[in-house]
Amino acid sequence: MIRIVPKEEYCIGCRLCEIHCIVEHSKSKNMVKAYKSERRPVKRIEVEEEGHVSFALQCRHCDEAPCITACLSGAMQRDAESGAVINDPERCVGCWTCILVCPYGAVRRDEAERKVVGKCDLCPDLETPACVANCPNEALVIVED
Amino acid sequence: MQTYEYAIVGNSAAAINACDAIRARDPEGSIAVFSEEKYRCYSRPLISYLVAGEITTQGMYYRPANYYRSAKVDFHKESRVVTINPAKKLLTTAGKEKIKWRKLLLATGFMPFMPPVKGLAEVGYLTFTSWDDARKMLAITNKPAKALVVGAGLIGVKAAEALHARGAAVTMVEKMDRVLPLALDERASALVEERCSGMGIDIITGEGVNSVESLGSHQGRASVSDGSEIDFDILVMAVGVRPRTELAEAAGIKCRGGIQVDERQLTSEKDIYAAGDAVLAMDIVLGKPTLNALWPVAALQGKYAGANMAGEEVPYPGCNSMNSVEFFGLPVLSAGIVNPPGSGYEVITREDSEGEYRKAVIKGDTLVGMLMTGKIERAGILTSLIQEKANVKRIKSCLLDEGFGHINFPHSVRQDRIVESLAGLNKVEAMRGRGG
Repeated sequence: MIRIVPKEEYCIGCRLCEIHCIVEHSKSKNMVKAYKSERRPVKRIEVEEEGHVSFALQCRHCDEAPCITACLSGAMQRDAESGAVINDPERCVGCWTCILVCPYGAVRRDEAERKVVGKCDLCPDLETPACVANCPNEALVIVED
Repeated sequence: MQTYEYAIVGNSAAAINACDAIRARDPEGSIAVFSEEKYRCYSRPLISYLVAGEITTQGMYYRPANYYRSAKVDFHKESRVVTINPAKKLLTTAGKEKIKWRKLLLATGFMPFMPPVKGLAEVGYLTFTSWDDARKMLAITNKPAKALVVGAGLIGVKAAEALHARGAAVTMVEKMDRVLPLALDERASALVEERCSGMGIDIITGEGVNSVESLGSHQGRASVSDGSEIDFDILVMAVGVRPRTELAEAAGIKCRGGIQVDERQLTSEKDIYAAGDAVLAMDIVLGKPTLNALWPVAALQGKYAGANMAGEEVPYPGCNSMNSVEFFGLPVLSAGIVNPPGSGYEVITREDSEGEYRKAVIKGDTLVGMLMTGKIERAGILTSLIQEKANVKRIKSCLLDEGFGHINFPHSVRQDRIVESLAGLNKVEAMRGRGG
């Protein structure tokens, strides 16, 4: 499966990854509409920044994923095909146990939409995840294992 | 007589995660799951969501409808195991079935604890711990109802919330001086109490119910220790839970307020394992075997029990007390020690605005507990620091900041957690760090 690795030595903290993540997970996949006329999706990637140091972090899709084991409803599962850890919004009840156990802080609440959690899904509709494809300085790279 | 490679007593978090772990290692060995209930594996913590109408019955199931078939598991429903014989490797069910097994897992869970309340046996009370209980609650609350909830722990408060959603007039009685006295600290309890009161739930703390009198099938009248009397159409007894150890004890398996296991989840009897709410398992924070009757802990234990049963020796990494619950829209997350038991602890709190409360409990240079309400984003980073017993000396001052994250870690630690960890996540060491 693919993994996304952040390179803090290249990250300029522009947060384009956050913006393109939001757009890719929006209804229209149009940047202006996603921000201005539709319900804005929760970002599934977070730029951490202090001084001149920054990097972007999203779900690591851990091999031994604590969120899958801890999930109360069985909504958090590994996708057999892609290997990605995927949350099924139909089964998620919004108990936030995944938020409690994720060591990366990579699961977020989507309070607007039935409280389901938003997390990186590796952009199943794209060849390259939006955050990686739109990083201007290759501060997010893909490794395959 | 049928012989199974693996027999599992119980059908909840520990049992199903054990099945999955066995199947990942042994694709063919026969597995039997015994449940006294009629339902396929469902998520017990979700019954409050079901009663409140937030999910449908379909949403209750922990696994898809074809789970047992696709995992090649023989599901023995409504089949209560009444004896196990470790020497003969035999179990018998209430239906007089005799089954042989090579490896056995006791995932017997908990049962509600009933305080000595006079007249209780004559009242059709609920414990709010099973799907059947949820169904009864739904039926009774089809009409306007007065509900009395005894005990304001996690089950009690979630029951009160569900009953409120059903339009019932709810009174909650708690013997201790605040709601959720064990799970939360005083401030967080007060926040939850405010929410409950704000929704019209009557809360009586510091009092108990002395006796109840039946006034029909599920109706009755309770006498409270403050001298008052409360009439109810539905009574929920949620005083606490106890591990179900009777099957293990009768078989001579060592128990001490819970089934005792070693780090492979093996009991004192050869080839008999145990996992879940009935088990005393290592608590990382307390440093000793502890009962943590919590879904994520049971699931993790089941996973390790299954792996060991299938022959892969992996030690259970330990877990800790942890809760994530929402009460009337207020999310409350906690891990480890939230009420320091004595001196020698450093406590940091902050409350940026009403309801957004955060607390860290530190011993020496180690984070041993945390609590967050309202804004709970990224709470898991703190949980992981607790489980890794990380030295937090240099990041103490920013632990509770809203922007706290990996940016606050030294570069090498951050690199190790984010990048290097990708290489060897299968290693036991990595499992240890992440609790699973």
